[in-house]
Order: sequence, then C-alpha cells, then structure tokens
Amino acid sequence: MINKKAEFNFALLFAIILGAAILILAIYGVMKISNTQRYTTDSEIAKKITIITDPLQAGFSEGKFGKITFNQETKINNICFDGGIGRQDISVSTKSGVGDEWQNPGAATSIYNKYIFSDEQENGKEFYVFSKPFYLPYKITDLIFLTSKNYCFIEPPTEIEDEIISLAITNVQVSTKGSVNCSSDALKVCFGGVGDCDIKIYGSCVNDCETAFDQGYVEKDGDKLEFIGNLMYAAVFSDKYVYDCNIKRLMYRTGKITEVLAGKADLMNSRGCNTNLWPDLVLYSSLASSASQADLVDLNNVAKDLDRKNNLELCRVW
Amino acid sequence: MKNNKAQFKIQQMAFMILAVFLFFILIGLGFLSFQTKSLQGNYQQLQMDQAISSLQVLTDMPELSCGYLCLDEDKLRVMSRKSEQYAQFWPVASIKVYKVYPAFDSLIKCPTANCNYFEIYDSNQQNTQEYSTYISLCKRVKEQDNIYDKCEIGKLVVGVKIKQTE
Repeated sequence: MINKKAEFNFALLFAIILGAAILILAIYGVMKISNTQRYTTDSEIAKKITIITDPLQAGFSEGKFGKITFNQETKINNICFDGGIGRQDISVSTKSGVGDEWQNPGAATSIYNKYIFSDEQENGKEFYVFSKPFYLPYKITDLIFLTSKNYCFIEPPTEIEDEIISLAITNVQVSTKGSVNCSSDALKVCFGGVGDCDIKIYGSCVNDCETAFDQGYVEKDGDKLEFIGNLMYAAVFSDKYVYDCNIKRLMYRTGKITEVLAGKADLMNSRGCNTNLWPDLVLYSSLASSASQADLVDLNNVAKDLDRKNNLELCRVW
Repeated sequence: MKNNKAQFKIQQMAFMILAVFLFFILIGLGFLSFQTKSLQGNYQQLQMDQAISSLQVLTDMPELSCGYLCLDEDKLRVMSRKSEQYAQFWPVASIKVYKVYPAFDSLIKCPTANCNYFEIYDSNQQNTQEYSTYISLCKRVKEQDNIYDKCEIGKLVVGVKIKQTE
C-alpha cells in the first residue's frame, strides 16, 4: 500500500514538473513569437511610410496633404545622417497590451532621396503629412513635413494663410483677427514676434519677395533656425537636429543638381544653343555643396541673381 | 514486478509528454514557416509598390525631369556618367530610359551616335522585375534662330529586386 502511494506520488510529481517545464517553455515561445511579430509589423510599417510619402510629394503642384492613421499609439523615429547625399532612417515602434508596452523599434528603412522634417521622435495615433516644393532657384526637391501635433498660426500673412487653407491641412488652424480661437492643445505660431507664442517666425526679406517671410528665422525651444522659402514650414514642424541635418543634405543635393545643369549647359553650347551660365553654375555648385543653415540667406541671394541671368538667356538652362 | 510496472507507467507518461511536446513543436515550426512565407510575400509586395510609385517620383526628380512626365535628354546624358556617385540614392535596382520611336532593331547605349537607350543606374541585381511608363524625352535646341524643346517618345523602365541574392 505504502509502495503504491509512493509510485503514484512520483509519477504525479514527474508529470507536474515536466508539464510545468513545457508550459513555461510554451509561454516563453509565445512571447518570443509575439515580439518577433511586433518587430516584423513595425519594420513593415516603416517601409510603408516611405512608400505612402511617395504620392504625397508635391511634384508639380503647390503642395499636398495627407493623414496616416494607426490603430494604436505609435512612435516614429526619424534619425538623420548628413555627409554627402546623407540619409534618414525611419523606424517605428507600436504600443502593445502584451509584454513590454513599448518594444525596441523595428528595422529602420533608410531613405536617401527624401527630406522628411519632423521631430526626432513623433508620438501619436494620427500623423499629418504634407509637402511643399523647394526652389533654389530651380526645383531642388519636395520637402515633406510629418507631425502628430496641432498648430495654430496666429495672424499669418495672407499668402501663408491662403496656402494653409487651400491645402486643407487639418492639424493647422489659422487664427485671424476676429476669427478662430486656437484650441488649447495647439502650439501657437506667431509672425513677426508679436504675441506670446510657442514658436515665433521673423521675416527679413526686403527685395524681390512675395512676403517678408520669404526668408528669415524661426525661434523655438530657445533655438534659432534660419530659413528661406518653404523651409519656413520645415523650421516650424521639425526639431533643430533634424532641421540642421536635412539642410546640409539639401545643400549638397543643390550642388549636385547644379553640376547636372552645368553639364546640360555644356551640351547645349556644343550644339549651338548657347548659354553663358556655365561658369556661374560651377561656382554656385561649389558654394551650395558645403553650405549650412547659416549660409541660407546669402545663398538665396546668389540663387536669385543666377535666376535673373538665366531669364535673360535665349537658351535657358531651366 | 511492482517496480517494473511503476517504471513502465513512468516511461508511458514520459513518452506521452514527449509526444505532446513534439506535437506543439511541429505546430510552432508550421507557424514559423507560414510567417516566413508571409513575410517574403509582404516584402515582394512592398518592393513592387515602391517600384510603381518610384516611376512618378523619378519623373519629378530635378536630376532627370523637364516637366510633367518629361525627361530631359541632356540631363540623362550627364546622369548616365554619374551612376557611381548616385548608387544609393535611387529607390530602385535599375533605371533605364529607351527611345521608343522610331523603332529599333538593336540596343545602342548612349552617349554614342544614334543611340537609343540611357542607362542611368544598374545595381547588377540578378533577379529583378521591370515596371515602365511612357514619357516625353526632350532637349532644348536652336534651329534657324528658333529655340524650342524638341521631344520624342520615350519609356522609363525601373527594375525592382524580387529576391534577396545574399
């Protein structure tokens, strides 16, 4: 009788230990698979973001706007690398109810031919993406702005107000005298330094400009970001690190495009469609390639001069 | 006798537990295989989506473009000599531009006389699938004091990697 009880207890103990081991192993396996699944999904989302932003590039329009909505809270990391053409590594991590709330981000997708202006890390369920072309003096690229925050532009110049309204950018409110009050969660953006705002834009353009805000600087979080043209939006919607890095990439690209145009001028000259712009283009290319944020305004003046010269040519290069 | 019976029972239970364990491992392997296939499928789909959207992006790029769905022949000549410098820049595995009219029998790579195609970039990937769109291929010319854009019909062909070669 005693022996039988011992046999039963040993068999039961053996089954319990092994069963528990299998159960722990199974739970561990499920957790691992779940983490791998999240990593895969996050990596796919990062790749999809780069594809989604393709049709959102302005192209030949004045701008485009779109919205990316996720089912759960999502972090988009935008790590920028300058030096030559440079790149931006976009990675995503999604919030989950299983395991760690925030896991390490999925595999990053490297983007070499786009300029995405955002904070280094954007959080939210809804992300607003819009793009504007960038000219210096010819088209360089489409600037892409990605943000999850709400903004309120207080009494902007008519041209900027029209741009925002025509693009129907839903996360940017426009507050003019006697209309629309800013919502409480919106970051206030003031023009000309008037008023108590989170972001202040100062315009300094006096000659050959549509508005004073064709060039100037943006003050935010104690930083001063110089801008020209549509880079004003870039300075508002991105942090200093991403802005500075993308400006260096943009300037290098400007230099490279100018090299192509210098080559084009050379070919046009060789078939009798003469242009005198070649030396100017070569000089401008070397100036642009090494320019940084501080050189933007000076470079803009050189670009305007180059554009004037091109317009005087019979065989225009652009 | 009693000892033998007890050992047999323990063995029976151990085998049973092992069988259950192996069963779950097999299910797990099946799931992993399904996941891998699905991942490869998603990768192909994303590559294809990117190639198709890249057609529009490339025709808008100032390095190549002369307007809406228009590529500048002079820029193509310059860019075809710079393919090394732009290697990582392009979002696709290859970019070629063909003149489609007049029809040709053999391919002659530009820049040479009577050439009919430009190779802007080729990453030398073995397994690629090609997607194309028709474009205008223009260059600015001066003829008898008239300056105008002389255009031909062209085809932009981009290749996308369909399988990892590594």
